[in-house]
Amino acid sequence: MRTVSGHRTGAPGLEVERLRVTFGGHVAVADASLAAPVGRITGLIGPNGAGKTTTLNACTGLVRPTAGRILLFGADVTGWRTSARARAGLGRTFQTPEVCAAMTVRENVAMGLEARWSGANPLRQLVAGPGRRRAVAEEVDEALRACGIAELADRAAAVLSAGQQRLVELARAVAGGFEVLLLDEPSSGLDEGETVRFGGILVRLVAGGRRGILLVEHDISLVMAVCDDIHVLDFGEMIFAGTPDETRASPVVRAAYLGPDRDEAGAAGGRRR
Amino acid sequence: MKELLPFVIVGIASGSVYGLAGVGLVLTFRTSGVLNFAHGATAAAGAFLFYWLHVEHGLAWPLACAVTLVVFGFVGGLALERLTRSLNRASPVAVVVLTVGLLLATQGFLALRFGDAIRYFPAFLPTSGFHVAGVGVGWDQVIGAVVALAGAAGLYAFLRLSHTGRSMRAVVENPTLVQLTGQRPATTARIAWAIGTSFAALSGLLLAPTLGLDATLLTFLVVQSFGACAIGLFKSLPLTYVGGLVVGVAASLATKYITVRPWTGLPSAVPFLILIVVLVAVSNTKLPDAGGRIIVADRRPPRPAWRSVALAIVGGGTLVALPFLVGTYLPLWTNALSMVVIVGSLALLLWTSGQLSLCHLSFAALGATTVGHLTGSGAPWLVALLVGGLVAVPVGALVAIPAIRLSGIYLGLVTLGFAILMQNVVFQSGFMFGTETAVSTHRPVLGFVDGRSDTWFYFVVLAVAVAVVASLLAIQRAQLGRLLRAMAESPLMLATSGLDVSTTKVLVFCASAFFAAIGGGLLVTQYGSIAGLAFSPLQSLLLVAVLGICGTALVRSSVLAALLVAVLPGYVHALDTNTQQFVFGTAAVAAGLALANRPALAAWFARSAAETEDRVQRGPVPERLRVARRGDGRRRSVFAGRGAP
Repeated sequence: MRTVSGHRTGAPGLEVERLRVTFGGHVAVADASLAAPVGRITGLIGPNGAGKTTTLNACTGLVRPTAGRILLFGADVTGWRTSARARAGLGRTFQTPEVCAAMTVRENVAMGLEARWSGANPLRQLVAGPGRRRAVAEEVDEALRACGIAELADRAAAVLSAGQQRLVELARAVAGGFEVLLLDEPSSGLDEGETVRFGGILVRLVAGGRRGILLVEHDISLVMAVCDDIHVLDFGEMIFAGTPDETRASPVVRAAYLGPDRDEAGAAGGRRR
Repeated sequence: MKELLPFVIVGIASGSVYGLAGVGLVLTFRTSGVLNFAHGATAAAGAFLFYWLHVEHGLAWPLACAVTLVVFGFVGGLALERLTRSLNRASPVAVVVLTVGLLLATQGFLALRFGDAIRYFPAFLPTSGFHVAGVGVGWDQVIGAVVALAGAAGLYAFLRLSHTGRSMRAVVENPTLVQLTGQRPATTARIAWAIGTSFAALSGLLLAPTLGLDATLLTFLVVQSFGACAIGLFKSLPLTYVGGLVVGVAASLATKYITVRPWTGLPSAVPFLILIVVLVAVSNTKLPDAGGRIIVADRRPPRPAWRSVALAIVGGGTLVALPFLVGTYLPLWTNALSMVVIVGSLALLLWTSGQLSLCHLSFAALGATTVGHLTGSGAPWLVALLVGGLVAVPVGALVAIPAIRLSGIYLGLVTLGFAILMQNVVFQSGFMFGTETAVSTHRPVLGFVDGRSDTWFYFVVLAVAVAVVASLLAIQRAQLGRLLRAMAESPLMLATSGLDVSTTKVLVFCASAFFAAIGGGLLVTQYGSIAGLAFSPLQSLLLVAVLGICGTALVRSSVLAALLVAVLPGYVHALDTNTQQFVFGTAAVAAGLALANRPALAAWFARSAAETEDRVQRGPVPERLRVARRGDGRRRSVFAGRGAP
C-alpha cells in the first residue's frame, strides 16, 4: 500500500518544534518534535500514557504547551485559538468519537464544512444561501463515498457502532477540507477486515497530495502498512523517528514496547490492545 | 469606624446564617452532584414546620426546634436523596427543572396551607443584649452566629476526622470506587442530604424571627447563600462559611451607603453580584464538574408534506375561528399567543442550543417597558415593538458573556443572579418601571385594524406570534439550527472543526432575547399596563419548569407550555396562583426525573420498538399483519443518546 503515496516530499504541513507540556509537576510531553507533511501519512505510536493524545491536543490548542512551537504551513499557530487553527486547515478526530447522536450521518458530516465556513463570522453563521447549500451537499456526498459510508447517510448517528462513528468523524474531517488531519486511534472498534479497508481509505485520502495525516494508533500492523514515516513517543520523549522498516528493526522501539529484557517477537503486535 | 459597627454586627449575624446554609448546600452538591435550587425552600419549610409546632400546636420551642432539625432534617434528607439520586451526572437542565419544581411546589404548598400574608414569627431566642463600644448587640444575634459557626465547624471536623466523613469526601470524587471498597455510596449520600436539610432548616429558623414568616422571602434569602458558595468555589466548606460572612457584611454595609433610587435595591442583590463576579472571573476548571451532557431536543423523522399542509390548514383555521368560539375568554388566548412568543424564545435557548436561562422574563420586561415608553412619547406601535426587541439584543449579548465561559448549572446560577439584579435594581430605574413599578401603553390602530377591539387585537398578536414561530422554525431548520444543536452536544467538535463557538452563543442569546422582548411588548399592549412583578425571577423559574413539563420540542412544547400558563388557569378556577405553583412545581419534579432518566427510558422504548420490528420481519403472518397495521414501526424511532444499548 505504501507505494501509492510513495515518498513524495510534500509541503510542510504541520510541524511541532520542541513541544513541552506539563500538568502540574508531571511532564506529559518533553521536547518532542515531529512533522506531518502534506501528501504523506505520518504515524505517531507509543505505549499507553506516552503523551500521544496530549501532543494532538497541543496541536489543536486544547492544552496549552509549556514550551515549544506549533507551525501550520510555516505559520506559528502556538497562541491561536482552536477554531482559528481549524480554519487554517487543521482537522482532527477524537479517541471517543465526538458525533452528534441526535443528527443523521449526513448532518454530522456537513458540520465539518459548515463549521469551518461559518467560522467566526456571525452573518455566515446566521444564513447560508441556496448555492452554498448545494455545494455543501456535493462535498458531503463525496466525503461519504470516500470514507465508504454513503449507505449510512440518513441513519441517526446514535444507532451506529463505535467503528462506524469513527468513520463519520473521518468523513466530517474530510468534508471540512482540512489539509492536515490528526486522527486519534481511528481503528479501534473496527474488526480486522474493516481495518484493512480503513487503511486503504487513508492511503487514498493522501494520494492526491492535497492532504496530510498524522495517525495516532495502537494497531501496529495498520501503522506499518500505511505510514510513510513513524515517530515513537515514550514517557513524553520522542525516542525514534524513521520509516516503518527502520522502526521495525530498531532496538530502542523494541525496548520501549516490550521492556529491555525481551527481544523476540518484534515490536509489531507487541502492545496491541 | 464607629458608625459602621452596627452594620458590621448585623452583617456578621446574618452572614453566619448564609454561611451555614451555604455549607449545607455545598455538602449536598459535592456528595450528590446535584445543586439544589430548592435549598431556600427547604429552609422556609423548616421555619414553617417550627411555626406550626410551636405556635399552632403549642409545643415548647426547644422541642419544636429539635423536631424540626432532627426529624425534618432526617426525613426530608432521605426524601431528597431518593428524589435526586438519578440526577447525578444528569443533564444540568434536568437538575434545574427538578429542583426548581421542588422550590415552586414547596412554596405553593406553604402559601396554600398558611396563606400569603407575612406572619409574625415568635422570637424564641432572648432578645435582650449588651453593649460593645456603645453599640447594642442582641443575645439572639450572638447565639445565632455561635450556633451557625458551631454547625459549620462541627461538620468540617466530622468530614476530616470520622470514617463516614472521609468516605463522604471520597464519594464526591468517585462513587463507583467507594462502592468497590465495600461501602455504600447511597448511605453516605443520605447522611449528607440529612445534614444539608437540617442546616437549611436551621438557617430558616435563625432568619425567620427578624424577617417574619414569608415563604418567598425566606426562599430567596437563603438563595443568597449561593454568593457564599461562589466564594468557596462550590467546594471548600470553610471558605463557604467565610463567604457567608463576607456576603452578609457587604450587603449590610451597602444598606448604609446606598440610599438613592434606583440603587436602593442593590444591597439585597449584593450576594448575586458577588456570585456573578466570582463565576465570571474564575476559570471554569477551578469549579467542580457539575452534571453530564446537555439534553438533546427531540428529533423525529420529518413529517410527510401532506401532514404538514393538513396541520397548517386545521391549525390556521382554528386560530382564525377562535375569537368567534371562545367568547369572553378571548383575552386568555391572546395572552397565550404572547406567551408562545416568550416560551418559544426560551425553548430555542434551552432545547435547541442547550443553554440555560433563568432570566428570560427580564428580557421580556425590557421589551414591555420600551414599548410603553416609546408609545407614550408618540412612536408608532410597530416601531416601538421592534425597537423593544432590539433593546434586549445587547442585554442578551451581555448575558452570553458568562455563557461563553460557563456551562450547565453555573450558567443557570449566573442568569438567576442576573434576573434578581434586574428586578432589584434596573426595574426601579426610570427607563424601566420606575417609581410607579408599572408601565402602561395603549392598543395600536393599524390602518383599518383597530387594536382597541379585543378581536382585532387578537389578530394583531396572532400575526406577530406566527411571524416569530416561523422565524424560530427557520432558525431550527437552517444551518444555524444545526450548529446550535451540535453546540448542545459537542462544542469541542465544533471548535476543532473551525467554528467560533463564542460567536454562536452570543448569536443565540441575542436572538432569544429579541423574541422574548417582543413577547413582553405584546403582553403590555394587551393589558394596557403591567407591573414589574409579572417579570419577577420567580416567574422566570416557573417558565423553565413549565417548559420542562411540556417536552423538548421547539414549537410543540412552547405552544403547550403557553396554554398551561395562560389559558388553563382561566378555565379552571380552582387553579389560583398558589395551586398553580404547587401543581406545576410537582409536575416539574416528575418532568425533571423523566429528563434525567431519558437514556434509560429511551432504551426501554428502543427495546420494545426493536421487538416489534422483529415480529414484523420474522414473526408469524397474523402477528406481522397485526403489528404492521398498528403503525410503521418507525414511529418510535430511537432518540436515545449513547445510553441506549
